[in-house]
Amino acid sequence: METRPGNTRTSKRTLLLAVCFAGTAFLTGCGGVTDTVSTAVEDSASAIATARLALGQESAGKLTTAAAATALEDSLRELQTSRDSVVRLSPSTPEDRQVRQEALAVLEGCTAGLNTARDSVAGNDGAPSAEDGKQALDEAAGRLSELKTKVGAQ
Amino acid sequence: MKRILGVALGILTAIGGFVDIGDLVTNAVVGSRFGMSLVWVVAVGVVGICLFANMSGRVAAASGRATFEVIRERLGPRAGLANLSASFLINLMTVTAEIGGVALALQLASSVHYLLWIPVAALAVWLVVWRVKFSIMENVTGLLGLTLIVFAVALFLLKPDWGNLAGQALAPAVPDEETASSYWYYAIALFGAAMTPYEVFFFSSGAVEEGWSIKDLIQSRINVLVGFPLGGVLSVAIAGCAAVVLLPAGIAVTSLSQVILPVAEGAGKLGLAFVLIGLVAATFGAALETTLSSGYTLAQFFGWSWGKFRRPAQAARFHLSMIITLLIGIAVLSTGVDPVLITEYSVVFSAIALPLTYLPILIVANDPQYMGKHVNGRPVNVLAMIYLVIILAASLAAIPLMIVTGAGS
Repeated sequence: METRPGNTRTSKRTLLLAVCFAGTAFLTGCGGVTDTVSTAVEDSASAIATARLALGQESAGKLTTAAAATALEDSLRELQTSRDSVVRLSPSTPEDRQVRQEALAVLEGCTAGLNTARDSVAGNDGAPSAEDGKQALDEAAGRLSELKTKVGAQ
Repeated sequence: MKRILGVALGILTAIGGFVDIGDLVTNAVVGSRFGMSLVWVVAVGVVGICLFANMSGRVAAASGRATFEVIRERLGPRAGLANLSASFLINLMTVTAEIGGVALALQLASSVHYLLWIPVAALAVWLVVWRVKFSIMENVTGLLGLTLIVFAVALFLLKPDWGNLAGQALAPAVPDEETASSYWYYAIALFGAAMTPYEVFFFSSGAVEEGWSIKDLIQSRINVLVGFPLGGVLSVAIAGCAAVVLLPAGIAVTSLSQVILPVAEGAGKLGLAFVLIGLVAATFGAALETTLSSGYTLAQFFGWSWGKFRRPAQAARFHLSMIITLLIGIAVLSTGVDPVLITEYSVVFSAIALPLTYLPILIVANDPQYMGKHVNGRPVNVLAMIYLVIILAASLAAIPLMIVTGAGS
């Protein structure tokens, strides 16, 4: 039986769509535990650097409390997004499980540091001082830097 | 004297009105990741928007009708519908991004969460669209948007290494930490941000609102050819500030709060006050323009009565379509989706839809039936054809690059 031109066109379209879909799935799906952790660490480092800059500017009287608080809030959100991407990982090898575990520990420490900085800007009774906030962020940046070196080496 | 003042006011509002949330975010993202190496794209985009905005202003002045109305009539309902679908969807995304931008700017000023500001911003947009005269609306937001010049002032106060910045701009290269595909993805985003379709539809419909005729063409040409390039300089200053402060600190821009930090670094709290006013004015002004553009495109396609020069009761469907657009924007933002993310996608989708917007304008601008002796000259057509090739290339490359780069991440 002869294939009608309309059917040929439809099957070509279906094939093209399937190839596009497979390509998209391949391109978006590729990247293992190390890649995801590496991206999460970079994004978190950017968030911590933002928080350090905002806190420094607020302490120097260059930034209003409202703007600094918003910048810290945005940094915290960015950090949580990075952490969530690591939480969602399902590593299959012991090495990958180790990387994920270490990354989560560092990111949780960073979240705690960023919370301290945010509380110091809020300035409520009993809140940490600006110096405490700065120190917490410096420590977070240091830990992220170590993790970045470790993940980069793998 | 009155004419000179009119020209000056037109230029100033064109500069102040050039920058919107798309320009703010995209230029800051690009500056923080690629330094000044994508400045050439801003230049290409500014020349393109000057070319097509001028063309669409000429169509409106020569025919006495808005560009979209003429496109619908000249190219028929099918081509008009393709143009409408692409333009309207991009416009809807842009309205949403701009209202989100107003809310984010107000959060920076008040620390009240942006979700609480969204209904306030949308209500304010609707009230202004409904009640305020077109010229007042355009001039006030445009002039207040001029305060964004503080980005250029801050850049000088930051005392950058000008040689290094110029070197990055004049000998563009992909930074070591970035990939070539990310570089080209952001080149397309920047191009889309500079050539957003709504600007052209708003410009031509605004010409009808203000009753332009052929004798107003010179003023409109000056507004476009002087105001838009100076607006482009503002865009470059935003990227420059990010390149000087954020890039060395390892900060990749993902939120509006990061965009203002270089200004605070260079110009302190006074600079911060200016930049916050500028952010609210620029995003609010663009929210008004995009909301009106939604009404314009729908009304001009379906042949409804439209325009702010008519009483709302005489253009009921035009006003109703804008209200629905705003409600959709509020609904989308209420889901908690990040307005900056919407902005990033809207500029890339703008680039994808560009051929559907600009090809019809070129066809109409060459039709003597509508344009009489004011049809495009040969040099304009040659330049426009070059731009159509660029636009088509950007449009075709946008989605593959979006997939390969994971939307530039």
